[in-house]
Amino acid sequence: MEPKTAQFEQGAAAALGDPKIQRNLSGLYDGLHQAKNIAAAATPDWEELRERGRAIKTHTIEHLDYYLEMAERNVKAAGGSVYFAADAEAAREYVAKLARDRGVKLVIKSKSMVSEEIGLNDRLIAEGIEPVETDLGEYIIQLAGETPFHIIAPAIHKSREDVSELFEDKLNTPRYERIEELAGEARRQLRQKFIGADMGITGANFIVAETGTLTLVTNEGNGRMCTSMPRIHVAITGMEKVVPSLEDLAVFLRLLIRSATGQRISSYVTTVTGPRKRQDEDGPEEFHLVVVDNGRSGLLADPHFREALNCLRCGACLNACPVYRKVGGHAYGWVYPGPIGAVVSPVLTGISDAKHLPFASSLCGACREACPVKINIPRMLLKLRNEISEGDNYPEERSSTLAERLAFKGWRAAMSNPAIMSAARSAGRLMQGPMTRGEAGPGPMAGWTRHREAPSLADKPFRKRWRDLQDDAGDSSK
Amino acid sequence: MTERARFFDSLRRSLGREPGAAPPAPAPESALSRDADDVRARAEEIRREAQDNAGPLSDALKQAAETAGWRVAVCETHEEAARYVADLAREIKAGSVVRSAHDAVERLGIERALEGSGVEVRTMALDDAGDAEREEQRLANRERMIGAGIGLTGVDYAIAETGSCVIVARQGASRLVSLLPPVHVAVVELGQVLPSLDELFALLRERFGEGDPESYMNIITGPSRSADIEYQLVTGVHGPGEVHMVIVA
Repeated sequence: MEPKTAQFEQGAAAALGDPKIQRNLSGLYDGLHQAKNIAAAATPDWEELRERGRAIKTHTIEHLDYYLEMAERNVKAAGGSVYFAADAEAAREYVAKLARDRGVKLVIKSKSMVSEEIGLNDRLIAEGIEPVETDLGEYIIQLAGETPFHIIAPAIHKSREDVSELFEDKLNTPRYERIEELAGEARRQLRQKFIGADMGITGANFIVAETGTLTLVTNEGNGRMCTSMPRIHVAITGMEKVVPSLEDLAVFLRLLIRSATGQRISSYVTTVTGPRKRQDEDGPEEFHLVVVDNGRSGLLADPHFREALNCLRCGACLNACPVYRKVGGHAYGWVYPGPIGAVVSPVLTGISDAKHLPFASSLCGACREACPVKINIPRMLLKLRNEISEGDNYPEERSSTLAERLAFKGWRAAMSNPAIMSAARSAGRLMQGPMTRGEAGPGPMAGWTRHREAPSLADKPFRKRWRDLQDDAGDSSK
Repeated sequence: MTERARFFDSLRRSLGREPGAAPPAPAPESALSRDADDVRARAEEIRREAQDNAGPLSDALKQAAETAGWRVAVCETHEEAARYVADLAREIKAGSVVRSAHDAVERLGIERALEGSGVEVRTMALDDAGDAEREEQRLANRERMIGAGIGLTGVDYAIAETGSCVIVARQGASRLVSLLPPVHVAVVELGQVLPSLDELFALLRERFGEGDPESYMNIITGPSRSADIEYQLVTGVHGPGEVHMVIVA
């Protein structure tokens, strides 16, 4: 998918001005966020579980090469193929060539963020192959020609009227009033696709290294269709999705599903270990696992951002984020929106276009609190802001002016030296007038003062008051 | 350089290892650390406890399953369970029932219970024939499953924590009997209920550790559902919209 991260401000403004999107977004907090909190509160060892999940993830990412090779051995032992793709093009080409070689005409797809990330559908269409998204939300946005609005609720910005109009327009259906009718229509349309498809493409929630087992978490049943009906199953996954052991799944399924929807478990958890066996009643003849780097090694190489690879893609940080809940998913301009997207997109797609994203946060910390594996997103956002404004690694992106940089250098010096600070405070009391009165400051200060009202400095500094209070206390105890 | 070498070189460099270096075996912090004897001993213990606590586990399963959207029936005998399924088939005018060859379903004797009702029962199991013939049967079975009113299966395990049924696909247990028909009925027998996901995956580790593991498993919890439009829950999106759990006590 072509990143549109550069247009964050326009996208955000458009969403903020659209009352329908605002109404649909408001459901996120009351719906998913509260459901998650209720589920977490009902899990007695929830905090322990988060710590354990975090520890396993951190350990696995530190030894990613070891566990990926273990997964590769075991997928092959089960009769499957594994392909490691360093970038998006390698992954696209592998799938496209496989489809060409096997004479594939119709592909059914279960929701995969990585597939969106690498723009697989466009490539398949260019090859004359029809890819059909089968998750209800993904089906809707594919018909609309849009991108996912939310990691787990891709079409949540659309009302039932929108969907009904879309179906009427694209599928020549009658006008439907009820959501059940819309879902029923999708079921009928997609049944035919499931029956006729030659290839099923899915993502992966987890890959178990010790057994080579792919794990899918779904609610609708389309994931089961895609892994059971066509003769070829291709799973595409980011390289960070590996976990060591089957028993680790118990930990991560609890964390992921409760955080995503507040369910104790989803309707279906499917595990796939290679293609069907000869004696099996059904299932695909071929199983291919495509493991994608596509910039993730950039996250891995930088100790400041490595923990972003712990992400389970549950979407909890989106629902918790006061900024996401106002601007929605499209403003972020790429596959991964919200707080985690604001960290991941700049590193995966290049910081020059995505430089607004790390600033689209109030740093309130709700994302970190919501994260089932306690990823410290605010810390990474701050680090990115720092890199962008200081121009450390990206001199061409430096957003700060010379005056700002000098001012902050002065600030740092003053804050670490009591004598300078004391002098600055005295000067400040004399000069603070225009800023505390809510007027715009002079010249280069205007940008800082137009929307900010600074509190006035106290007549007596806290250090002095503290000393006096201690003196008083000392006096009275005598 | 092959794509694989390119991938691992970049990965190792990012981890601060020499490109081409063999990865170090980690000090395992996950469940991977347990050796085969431990895994087997733990599995024995889990099976014993599932038998010893069968009653309370079954009660807990019933409660969690109802919360998760199953219609739960507790039957004293397999005959009673068969009557429950037969009544359901008549009530919803099922036309035909497709079933797996799970032992629990064999014990039900659903064919007898539906005799004379006009409801056809078909077992979804391929003959031991050549590949081409099996493929033909496979497609014919698929048509039958799409046309059937009810899919009837046994389970390998049930999970009290989540109210789930676990079905491992294998000979006689199709992936699709519990997926394609609009109604799924799962028969759970006493002693099959595990306390939680932890025990399930511990048992699976033993299965994988010993020989030729099955390729496919589903943990099924309630009906197929979606809240993709306006957060409104709808059931029966691609899989069954109505699911029954019949616990034979």
